[in-house]
Amino acid sequence: MTHAESQDLLLDLAYGELDAERAREVASHLEGCAECQKEKVAIEEVRRIAAPLRELEEPPAGFDDRILAAARAQAQLEHDGNVGEVIEVTGSVRPMGMEPARIDAHGPVKTRPAERRKPRWLMRAALGGSVAAAAALALVVSTSLETRRNRESAVAARSDDFRIRVEPAAPPSVSVDSALRDAEAKRERAQPEAQQTAPARPPLEPAPQKDKVAQRRVPKNLPAAGSGGDVSRAPAAATQKRAEVDRQHEELSGPVGVVAVQSPAPPVEGPPAPAVGATPLGIAAPENKRSKETANATEARDGTRSDAPPSMPVPAAAPAVKALSASELPSAGDVEARAQEARHGGDYGLAASLYRQAATLRAQGKEASAAAWNLAHAVECLSAAGRFDEARAVREELASGYPAEGGALSAARRALRESETVPTSK
Amino acid sequence: MGQERTDEELLAAYQQGDPGAFEALLRRHRAPLFTFLLRMLGDRERAEDLAQETFLRIVKGAQAWEHRARFQTWLFTIARNLCVDQSRRDRFRRTDSLDAEGPGGEQAMVDSVPGREIDPGRGAESARLRPLLQRALLSLPAEQREVFVLREQAGVPFREIAEILGVNENTVKSRMRYALEGLRKALAAAGVSEETAAEEPAPGIGLGRA
Repeated sequence: MTHAESQDLLLDLAYGELDAERAREVASHLEGCAECQKEKVAIEEVRRIAAPLRELEEPPAGFDDRILAAARAQAQLEHDGNVGEVIEVTGSVRPMGMEPARIDAHGPVKTRPAERRKPRWLMRAALGGSVAAAAALALVVSTSLETRRNRESAVAARSDDFRIRVEPAAPPSVSVDSALRDAEAKRERAQPEAQQTAPARPPLEPAPQKDKVAQRRVPKNLPAAGSGGDVSRAPAAATQKRAEVDRQHEELSGPVGVVAVQSPAPPVEGPPAPAVGATPLGIAAPENKRSKETANATEARDGTRSDAPPSMPVPAAAPAVKALSASELPSAGDVEARAQEARHGGDYGLAASLYRQAATLRAQGKEASAAAWNLAHAVECLSAAGRFDEARAVREELASGYPAEGGALSAARRALRESETVPTSK
Repeated sequence: MGQERTDEELLAAYQQGDPGAFEALLRRHRAPLFTFLLRMLGDRERAEDLAQETFLRIVKGAQAWEHRARFQTWLFTIARNLCVDQSRRDRFRRTDSLDAEGPGGEQAMVDSVPGREIDPGRGAESARLRPLLQRALLSLPAEQREVFVLREQAGVPFREIAEILGVNENTVKSRMRYALEGLRKALAAAGVSEETAAEEPAPGIGLGRA
């Protein structure tokens, strides 16, 4: 074993992560290497002193109550479809895989005849693992989210193409949604300024502020998790046209978390998540929604990403949503132009988000090189915004998705090298 | 009791509609998760809030979960992202950011003295030291602190930490080295050494580890 190897493995040794053979190799190197020996001892010493930090502390009494209540409510939902809320989705375009259905808190799942001019599909949420269910929940949730944050646009509904209606159940049961909403509200309260700045922002406001907001609220963009957050935008944008939602959103699960949670349904073939979700974003976005959708949806439901089980590649909801809005997709070129505009305006956070959308659109069009470059630009923008962890995550996405795109890859690496000065990330 | 079942089995049972399985999961992970958040944030109330939110998100996402990663990884990914979120928010409100400046360059950890094996709970003494240690921990940049806490307190292996953070394992270990070194310095500055740490040996208070 070389000295370098040994140095590399000292931590593994200290934490018992080496197999016996490897541990022996390191040990035998240690015997003849004062430097490694010293380092090992130093590690052990700090660990000994810091040992009290390892002691478990119990959360306060009552900690479990709300969680367990939510868990039971959710189990009930999964089990018999009783959700405590009626969820109804209407659309002229039916997301693929969706069947007419209805969610009724107090009755079995049943279909209902269409009573409006447009075909209607109502669906039951939470058929385990069903694409449709995931999409529906995502839609509902994000709708409420969107409306909550943007009443005006919701009221200014202008199209019947797509509708979602949610009725609160008669008995307000403890739902995960409401619990999560409370939890998030609590956090939001701790952050009044974020609340105020985000929603009111006009489209394409100059960078500094918006970026600040986005940065504040957007968590690191883990590859898997990222999808959830993005997905939420799509349906939100698509569906917020309905005023009715606005009225009812209060009862609904506002929390974005829901979306994220639900979205990671069975993986469906398709492009990487973030983009898919992002796509529809453009749909409703054209005019006044852009700022909100970016600032709002993205950041707002930041937390969502984290909900996606780590290994889930693509949220199922995304494809469904995509189908829904296929005719209205913005072109990749448009998104790229907006990204460039944002970038030149110094709004790196927005630019990065747009570049990622564009990458997905390009990927859908099988334009690997353009997709890769969009990702590289996203890395550059995230680096410029100081969001290195996200930048690294996108870089890894780029590296794993487009290993052959050397130019884009090295641009991304360069961007991180240049702007990354944090000593801890070498 | 279902305590023999793995986390993943419990979650699968919960997916099948057994709330008791979730309860078992909660019991198993509530203290480790709460402690993780407490160490990260240094604030009980916030730790409680975020721990609850983490579990609620688990509840919400359980149905879609697939057994491709460990439950624990998922749990800490959520919690950790909530932490990041939280501290980002805080950063805009407070000047004394949690993300203090980290140590400058990489240095070998020297000047140490060989000692005994790690001894987890030492009762009153450990309770006496904990605030000092917590303060030292909070002086670390968040990205080092999270690695340290995940490995040291939560017992998450480096490879899994890498998954949680979305960085590679070498980065994780590098942060861990900085964290240990940073802690050593912070503790030295606070006058905590192995000698002081060993003072007033007290009867064990049964500080349970997981």
